[in-house]
Amino acid sequence: MSLDTLSRATRNNHRRPRPPGRRWRSRMDVKAMPYALVSPYFLLFAAFGLFPLAFTLYYSLYDYDLAGTTEWAGLGNYTALLADDDFWNAVVNTVGMFVIATVPQMLLALFLANALNKRFRFRLAIRMSVLLPLVTSVVAVAVVFTQLYARDWGLVNWILSWFGVDPTNWRAERIPSWIAIATMVDWRWTGYNAIIFLAGMQTIPRDLYEAAAIDGASRRRQFWQITLPMLRPTMIFVVLNSTIGGLTLFSEPTTFYNGNVDGGSQGQFQTVAMFIVKQGFREFDYGYAAAAAWLLFLLILIGALINFLFVRRIGGTK
Amino acid sequence: MTNWSPTVITRVMLGLAIVLSAFPLYWMLVIASRTNADAVSVPPPFLPGGNLGENIVAVLNNEDAHFLLGLTNSFIVASIVTISVVLISTLAGFSFANLNFKGRNLLLLAVLLTMAVPLQQMGVVPLYRLMVSLEWTGTLKAVILPYLLNGFGVFLMTQYTRQAVPMELVEAARVDGAATLRIWWNVVLPAVRPGMAVLGINTFMLMWNDFMWPLIVLTPDNPTVQIAITQLNARFSTNYTLIFAGTALSIIPLIAVFVAFGRQIVGGLMEGAVKA
Amino acid sequence: MMISRRRGGLAAASALAVAVLTVASCGSGSTPESSAPASSAAAEPVTIRVQTFGGGTNFGYKNAIAKWNAEHKDIQIKEEHLTDQFEQQYWPQMIQWLQAGNGAGDVVGIDEGGMGLAKAHPEWWTDLKEYGLESRKADFPAWKWENGVTADGKLFGLGTDIGGMSICYRKDLFEKAGLPGDREKVSALWPTWDEFMNVGKTFQSKIKDSKFADGTNTLYQVVLYQEAAKNGNVTYFDKDNNLIVDKNPAVKAGFDFATKMSQQGLTAKLRNFTDEWAAGTQKGSFATLGCPSWMLGVVSGNAGDAGAGKWDVAAVPGGGGNWGGSWLAVPKQSKHPKEAAMVADYLTSAQTEASIFTDFGNMPSNTKSQADPAVQGAKNEFFNDAPIGEIFAKSASSLQPVFMGVKHAQVKNAIESVIQGMDDGSVPYDKAWQQLVDDAVKAAG
Repeated sequence: MSLDTLSRATRNNHRRPRPPGRRWRSRMDVKAMPYALVSPYFLLFAAFGLFPLAFTLYYSLYDYDLAGTTEWAGLGNYTALLADDDFWNAVVNTVGMFVIATVPQMLLALFLANALNKRFRFRLAIRMSVLLPLVTSVVAVAVVFTQLYARDWGLVNWILSWFGVDPTNWRAERIPSWIAIATMVDWRWTGYNAIIFLAGMQTIPRDLYEAAAIDGASRRRQFWQITLPMLRPTMIFVVLNSTIGGLTLFSEPTTFYNGNVDGGSQGQFQTVAMFIVKQGFREFDYGYAAAAAWLLFLLILIGALINFLFVRRIGGTK
Repeated sequence: MTNWSPTVITRVMLGLAIVLSAFPLYWMLVIASRTNADAVSVPPPFLPGGNLGENIVAVLNNEDAHFLLGLTNSFIVASIVTISVVLISTLAGFSFANLNFKGRNLLLLAVLLTMAVPLQQMGVVPLYRLMVSLEWTGTLKAVILPYLLNGFGVFLMTQYTRQAVPMELVEAARVDGAATLRIWWNVVLPAVRPGMAVLGINTFMLMWNDFMWPLIVLTPDNPTVQIAITQLNARFSTNYTLIFAGTALSIIPLIAVFVAFGRQIVGGLMEGAVKA
Repeated sequence: MMISRRRGGLAAASALAVAVLTVASCGSGSTPESSAPASSAAAEPVTIRVQTFGGGTNFGYKNAIAKWNAEHKDIQIKEEHLTDQFEQQYWPQMIQWLQAGNGAGDVVGIDEGGMGLAKAHPEWWTDLKEYGLESRKADFPAWKWENGVTADGKLFGLGTDIGGMSICYRKDLFEKAGLPGDREKVSALWPTWDEFMNVGKTFQSKIKDSKFADGTNTLYQVVLYQEAAKNGNVTYFDKDNNLIVDKNPAVKAGFDFATKMSQQGLTAKLRNFTDEWAAGTQKGSFATLGCPSWMLGVVSGNAGDAGAGKWDVAAVPGGGGNWGGSWLAVPKQSKHPKEAAMVADYLTSAQTEASIFTDFGNMPSNTKSQADPAVQGAKNEFFNDAPIGEIFAKSASSLQPVFMGVKHAQVKNAIESVIQGMDDGSVPYDKAWQQLVDDAVKAAG
């Protein structure tokens, strides 16, 4: 739309003589309205953001028992968590799955975006089919993947058997279970991230490439030296989003084990979010779950910071 | 420029990406249209069978699954939350981007900080206890209210409005005597529609796929669609065709909307992504 | 032009918003009504939700409920089979709903492992004495009755089924392995567990596509309960609710046997009540499993019609034991306690429990049903007309109650997870026992 049309439109709508006595109202409009406009967010945040955070802290200082007793625990839950092998197992699983899922996902999305940026027919149809996984139901897809990874009749094991690989017990072996879950996550998000990257790529001025081509830079070189550095803002957005999503992973691993938050017989793929639900809603130790939630928050902050710094370095150095 | 025409490798890669994107969905239809014995046979079947209609009817007729209720509930929850988030974010985004007021930067910083808080995981214990004391467990209120706001939405709309609505435009409208809300309605809203589209799609999908919190706070007789699938999975553990028919059913409405509005969704996503 | 088009769009959007909100308010308004039909409206039938777990035909209520619903237009029973898994899913969810005061059915099934906790929370339950069900006392063995009474004398649970022991086996696979298929001869093969394992080795040397046993867990349970009967009828807790996992020889005996089965490669490494286990029953992934009476319905339900005639029931090595069995209770939060009590009464009546046994196999705890000639002489069609009356009913009166602590279900899940982990390779054999003890301590809190 052109600015011209817009400003003409507003003028047409509002060019009326200002009635007297409205000056006070108009001043209030300028002074107070900005606050009024942001207030819904902050009011709701107070109710459903600040309140849970504060009370999570409060709960984390108490010891709850299945029998219904509540005792002051001080920092007891936190010290117990830090010494709890199961908690660290969940942390390692979460980070491990995040890395296994995110690194290939980012690379694939980048190359896919690069490919989508070429000229060809049926462009919209192709972009849509890449986005298709996003508009499915996460649990439905996890159910499908779980069946594909079934030990005795799954498609994946059948295909692997062509290459002489013995049947893998995807839900019992730790690393295979991570890989299986990572593929679910990647299937869902790679296309979406590719579209976001593509949008970013299209804002890169073409003359940069033309100049590089004249200088004799190969296409690969152009990708690494122009595309990647120019994509940095988009990448920060995508990576931060994946960090928060990846570190709070819950739906896929839970569905992978029949809707059970144990995450395998020995917690092979139990994530921190599953650990919190298990402590809070399977063993009813609300205090312990609340403390774990705070530690998860800490984990996300650390993860976001590391990734932010990492992405900032990409292409930043020559 | 040779750079912009696809090579053979590019074409193959794209083809592969499309096949991989579609395969699990195709597979879902294959199993959903077959019999149970086929579902666990080795080698697995690769072509759809003739039982799709029958299996879907079985899911819908199964009272325990509450499948239609799940679909309706998810639609209600996702719609209300999407409208709320888009509205709140557009208002706040306009204010942060185009209006001057004391403490603006501080408040914006506060929004940024809240973005990093995964509320549904962090606040799960107090939110649950709150819902219990309000006697709201098992109701849709419990899964709507905690999601009515979204820090990411405010951030996105602030960024987007900054890019799409130049200050001069707002100033000009004000000189013309338009009140703030009028400016928002007549100047800002039309200009930020692509941003709203991105935020709307994101929010809707997020809510449609929400799982952890509904799993805790809802009961199986009043589920959202994700809970209904989980229930189907838990109750009919050996009946893969029934489960897969349910999963297919849960996806069809979304795919239909996607196909109908594909151009706008892809366009909106791309435009929104750049400006934000 | 542009403006008006935009306005149109916005108007449409806001109309949609209004529509959605209207639908939502209707939706949320009608929800409580549908789950609790107003009792004032006499014409509307009362729906009693019966929540169960278990797998296969689970509690075996299908026919009994159909019969009731045909005879009672004013009270309709609706069974909600929530999940196959009691300790991992059903019970925690039930505890959550009982504490929240919302979500539980009008009648809920409770496995023996949950009764310790249920008993410790009288405030969760309706006192069935208020509805005249004290009169049922004579129908049950003393222990089954006492377990449904809280310390302050509230009657909250009525007994459904009891365990009993057998081995379910695949007749066709046995014959394929050159073993006898006839149940008398099969029973004669394994008077002891060592001989059972030897049969397994023979079987496994001939058959490659199927494993001899489903996993380690059902056999572990069978041995545990047999040994518990010899060790004061306790498993994980002593009668003062102290954790005794590391001291009880019954636990160690069950664990040792599970270890040997796994080390010999005789197990399909499937844990009972998981989806792969259920599908494995259908597919013939394994040839035997430990079968208390209620497991018959699980097997027949999971295997489906195609499995009829392939399965049979043989005697268990080493003698009797009492694994499993449940109760029905009416949560305090039920809006229709009177009708719910009637339903619980009906589902545990001598006639109903007897028909459940003859239809599906769950052994009645009701002593009148046990004495019923139809029960004593019952045969199970699915299991090759196995004389299940002979196998289960004869020993039913001699079954001993096993004591379970308040946190039995939680400890049980932890222990089974370690035993399963040992079988699927995620816990090394030499570390498994120590981990079992540690995890049990942790689960007991």
